[in-house]
Amino acid sequence: MMPEVRLEGLGKRYGNLTAVNNVHLTVHDGEYVTVLGPSGCGKTTLIRMIAGIIEPTEGKVYIDGRDMAGVPIEDRDIGYVFQNIALFPHLTVKDNVSYGPRARALPPEEQLRVSRRFLELVRLLDRMGMFPDELCGGEQQKAALARALASGSRLLLLDEPLSALDSRVRVDLRYELRRLAKELGLTTIHVTHDQEEAQSVSDRIVLMRAGAIVETGTPEELYARPKHIFTANFIGETNLLEGWVVEIRDGISVIELRNGGKVEVHQTDHSVGDAVVISVRPEFMYPADEGMRAVVRGITYMGTYWRVKAETEDDEEVDFDMATLDGNLLTIGKDVYLAVNPKAAVLYPRPEDGVEEAIRLE
Amino acid sequence: MVAAISRKRFLTGWTAFIILFFLFFVILPTIYILSYAFTEWGSIEALLEDQGRMDLIWGAIGASFQIAGIVTVIDIVTGLPMAWMLVRKDFRGKNLLDTLIDMPLAVPTAALGFSSAMFFAITDESLQAPSFALGTIGSPYLLIILLHVVFSYPYMVRSLSAILVQIDQTYETAGRTLGASPLTAARTITLPLFRAGLVTGIILCFARSLSETGGTMIALATMANARGFATGPTLIGEWKDALDSQPDLAAPLAFVSILLILLSLALLVVIKLVVMRVHLPMGRIWPRPERLLSRGVFPKVKDGLAVLFLVVFVLVPSFFIFTYVGSVEPTAFDWAPFIRSLLYSFLIAGVVTGIDIALGVPLALYIAKNRSGRLAGALDVLVNVPLIVPTAALGYSLGVFWASQEIVPTHDVLLIVLAHVAFTYPLVVRNVAGAVEEVDPAYEETARTLGARPVQAFRRVLYPMVKSSILAGAIMAFTRSLGETGATQAVVANAQTAPVYIVDLINLETAAGYYSAGLACIMLIVISFLFMLALRYVTNRRAR
Amino acid sequence: MPSVRLIGLRKTFGGIKAADGLDLEVRNGEYLCLLGPTGAGKTTALRMIAGLVSPDEGKVLFNGEDVTNTPVEERKAALLPQTYSLFPQLTVEENITFGLDIRGADERLKEQVLISMLDLVRLSGRSTAFPRELSGGMQQRTALARALASGADMLLLDEPLRALDARLRISLRTELRSLVKSLRMTTIHVTHDQDEALVMADRVAIIREGRIIQVGTPKEVWDRPATPFVANFLGQSNFFIGEVLQSSPCTLLRTPDGTVLKGRSSDLIPGTQAVMGVKIGSTELSKERPGYLQAKVERILFEGRNLHMDMMTGGGQRLSAKLPSWKKGRITVGDTVGIYWEEEKGTVFSMPANGLESELKVE
Repeated sequence: MMPEVRLEGLGKRYGNLTAVNNVHLTVHDGEYVTVLGPSGCGKTTLIRMIAGIIEPTEGKVYIDGRDMAGVPIEDRDIGYVFQNIALFPHLTVKDNVSYGPRARALPPEEQLRVSRRFLELVRLLDRMGMFPDELCGGEQQKAALARALASGSRLLLLDEPLSALDSRVRVDLRYELRRLAKELGLTTIHVTHDQEEAQSVSDRIVLMRAGAIVETGTPEELYARPKHIFTANFIGETNLLEGWVVEIRDGISVIELRNGGKVEVHQTDHSVGDAVVISVRPEFMYPADEGMRAVVRGITYMGTYWRVKAETEDDEEVDFDMATLDGNLLTIGKDVYLAVNPKAAVLYPRPEDGVEEAIRLE
Repeated sequence: MVAAISRKRFLTGWTAFIILFFLFFVILPTIYILSYAFTEWGSIEALLEDQGRMDLIWGAIGASFQIAGIVTVIDIVTGLPMAWMLVRKDFRGKNLLDTLIDMPLAVPTAALGFSSAMFFAITDESLQAPSFALGTIGSPYLLIILLHVVFSYPYMVRSLSAILVQIDQTYETAGRTLGASPLTAARTITLPLFRAGLVTGIILCFARSLSETGGTMIALATMANARGFATGPTLIGEWKDALDSQPDLAAPLAFVSILLILLSLALLVVIKLVVMRVHLPMGRIWPRPERLLSRGVFPKVKDGLAVLFLVVFVLVPSFFIFTYVGSVEPTAFDWAPFIRSLLYSFLIAGVVTGIDIALGVPLALYIAKNRSGRLAGALDVLVNVPLIVPTAALGYSLGVFWASQEIVPTHDVLLIVLAHVAFTYPLVVRNVAGAVEEVDPAYEETARTLGARPVQAFRRVLYPMVKSSILAGAIMAFTRSLGETGATQAVVANAQTAPVYIVDLINLETAAGYYSAGLACIMLIVISFLFMLALRYVTNRRAR
Repeated sequence: MPSVRLIGLRKTFGGIKAADGLDLEVRNGEYLCLLGPTGAGKTTALRMIAGLVSPDEGKVLFNGEDVTNTPVEERKAALLPQTYSLFPQLTVEENITFGLDIRGADERLKEQVLISMLDLVRLSGRSTAFPRELSGGMQQRTALARALASGADMLLLDEPLRALDARLRISLRTELRSLVKSLRMTTIHVTHDQDEALVMADRVAIIREGRIIQVGTPKEVWDRPATPFVANFLGQSNFFIGEVLQSSPCTLLRTPDGTVLKGRSSDLIPGTQAVMGVKIGSTELSKERPGYLQAKVERILFEGRNLHMDMMTGGGQRLSAKLPSWKKGRITVGDTVGIYWEEEKGTVFSMPANGLESELKVE
């Protein structure tokens, strides 16, 4: 079986409210895709429509080339992991995991074999006889994962599987998720609001906002060269500086910022005179002998680097990072000149409703 | 500092007062009659020898428990699909259905009894029941089962749907993503989780059926040839009525009450144990047949039958009386005694509700906030006792208790009020305690860290959140008091409350009596409805 | 603004020790993060400071004065609960002035405070809305304004950002901190998120099993962890077990296969068993340098500003490293790399009594 998932013009309306609007997406066999976006962007509705929990009002879901319209949840052959974990509280871990085989009336010895196999895979074999409330959060979610896998499906749908967990446990478990999905060759669709999580597990990220896809790409594409200003801000932190293109030469655009400073960017798809926004991540901005003048306002130790907050002459806040060794050179109140790595900066046309609105999270 | 200490002392004193009130005015009178077995063992021994009376007693009690059992089973079987439909499905007219289910709750049981008997049973000729009445039931036993289903069905549906709402639907969805059909998922996942809640529904139904007096008496009186059939509570009513002329009925009365109290309490324990222990065949799964039953026409047939049952066996019998009053020849109606009895009932219900709120809310708060404590835990269990004990037995016990005291004068109205407080008080306590427990304690805690004293935190934060539950408790207490017959009769033989007045009218067995009773019932129904609508309006407005 | 001192606090709930000899000092006007995994006793500690839980043993001092038995409402320590607990029946405005209403403040003062608070938390346009009509971020700000306006001089934040989306959480960190700082409130902020603690705190107190393990500035707790748990909880570490050869001027540790590793000086006795922890962010990789030991790269994950690499040594030990993303391409899966670190980045701990694995457990 080749569980490829294809969505064609998928949409869901509740009265006047559009939860998901005209989504086209293909998830390939064996691919790990995350659907990322802020609360209320429609990502959960989307995955629920794929699972058949919610009926779409428009468009089609194809799994393995088959139109899923009218196919009930239990016939879609999916593994689904819920945000609130949803282990059956009256069944032991083993009985939870063997529920899928049991629902398909496999013989008892086969049920046991399957549940052992998947519990072993998530390293919970020693917890077989326990009830869900006797496990801690991370273990519960692993058991829920084993349960989803044990149903034998090759398509795994993960609905914010880690958001109920502590951040440290979350980090450990996300590597586990990817490892299992890849080891078993599953097609995975993982919904999350956590951009860090999305970046570290996915082959491809689908970024959503207000019911529609903003853009799709590999974690690296979305981090290094996001096509949309919303993406630039949502995936990783960034400085957004407003200015105008004043000169274009040799593959370089020269941007004059509001405060008069000039920045060079290796990108030439705008014309002279265009109002633009430069996105530059804190790690690609550094103190230099000349450049944008700013005053250091705060220095925070981040373990492997220092995060410096500075204020430019026109009261804009910019963040830049320094290696741990150099951090001691700066003090609060000190003037610095900031330069931008021209290769790492990205230009966007200035949004009509303003930058604030274009990157709004809520 | 001084202020803090005296505040603390005041609080302790107040709490002690509330708990003592509960124990001495509610619990103790309810089960006081049990002491009769020790003090008057001789007369009970004599009674045990009296074959004729013992047969009557066992017959009545047996009938009561059998009927309650059968009614509960019918309620579960028919109520579950209805509750499921109301909670898990979306369809047009759902709100209407939701309201329809509540309607019989607003009808006083006396009116229900008259109305249902008229619809179901073969009635006395002078009644002139409308020709389209079913009018085929000739067995009093069957009639009482049908009647009890009418008024307990809404309780069962309500308590089942209350539990169902709380069971996260994600569990079922999870089951379905694992390949289980809707029926399989419901059976193997939701039903086992349902168990603890099912106990509440069963106990509620069982207790209501066991307790019911007024409606039962009226139904039996309405039916032709029902003489000689009695349930435990109607037997108490009958004997208490005759007690003045036959003083030797004291021992049998006490004995019936003791039996009803003990058996119902024992049953409470048994039901809890049985329902939690019983092993339903959850292990097996039959994928194909269950899948088949989950699809196509089957679910629709099931839902259709549930609605049909509601209409034919609950709604039509409840309101059949309107067709009767509209179809027969009007006769003269004597307003004065009816109005008097109505005022009498309202006065009692009002006073009772006032006492329930004033003294029940503090106990509810105490129980909800000290849940882990031993005393609060014990109180929480005790609160259920007056709910389980049949009200007729409760009333008789209470009457004997207060008669044996000299502190409180045994005035009729006062005794009725005390009796009604005993069985309505738990309704308020349970409603309010449940609501308080639902509210996250973080609200009050936060208010305190913002500078609010405990009293302020209650008044400004908690009270607005549970206000509607207090009102709901008050409505329940009020309507229960208004409709109660068993306890009233058992305390004071000839108290002229509205339900007792209707019983008396029907017992005349004349066309005029029936017509007057019908008219009185309709007016009682209309007043109850208006009253509930008004309260609902007030609740909604305040909740906003 | 008061300072807070907790002395030997103990609290047991049904056999579980939520506080087990908790000592902590919070300075006047300080922003302190109480950091620890779920179940470490963070919330209990906060509730004891608020007065919502009374300790079985020990004392709570505000400004040197014993408040252990002072009622909650007299402590002037406002709590911001995890779910905000905004009073649903009150508007934003009424929620914010709740504390003033309780104290019977006059209308003019209320008006003044309200206007400044609405302005401070950027909610002037929504003052008549009910909490359920607000977005998560707005609810959080309303709750904050309510706490600030109550006239309290201490702020107790219980996971104040947890209910928000990951990205929003990051944006609000600095905003929340600077807001609180501008009012010079003494703040105790409970969190399980180490990044949040590092960014927001003046000092971080790490709590585990009802006890404070370490208190220090973010830099101190990061660079000089007191226990292997701290080393791993903040930023994840690679650990090596071995025998101490010398402890000064640098510590030398010999692993069972004979490799000698270098770490910061310590006071361990030569000859004893010890554990060396090196942050994965300080673990450096090179294809040219042999390093202390060699490992094969098994997996590389792109995480935005960093790359996360998992490696396996010849001896079967799993190691991880975090490198800046711009180094991508220099090392690929399957490469054998030398692993090394600067001497200062290796911290050596005496061997934990219950073994390393149970020491590092976060759940």
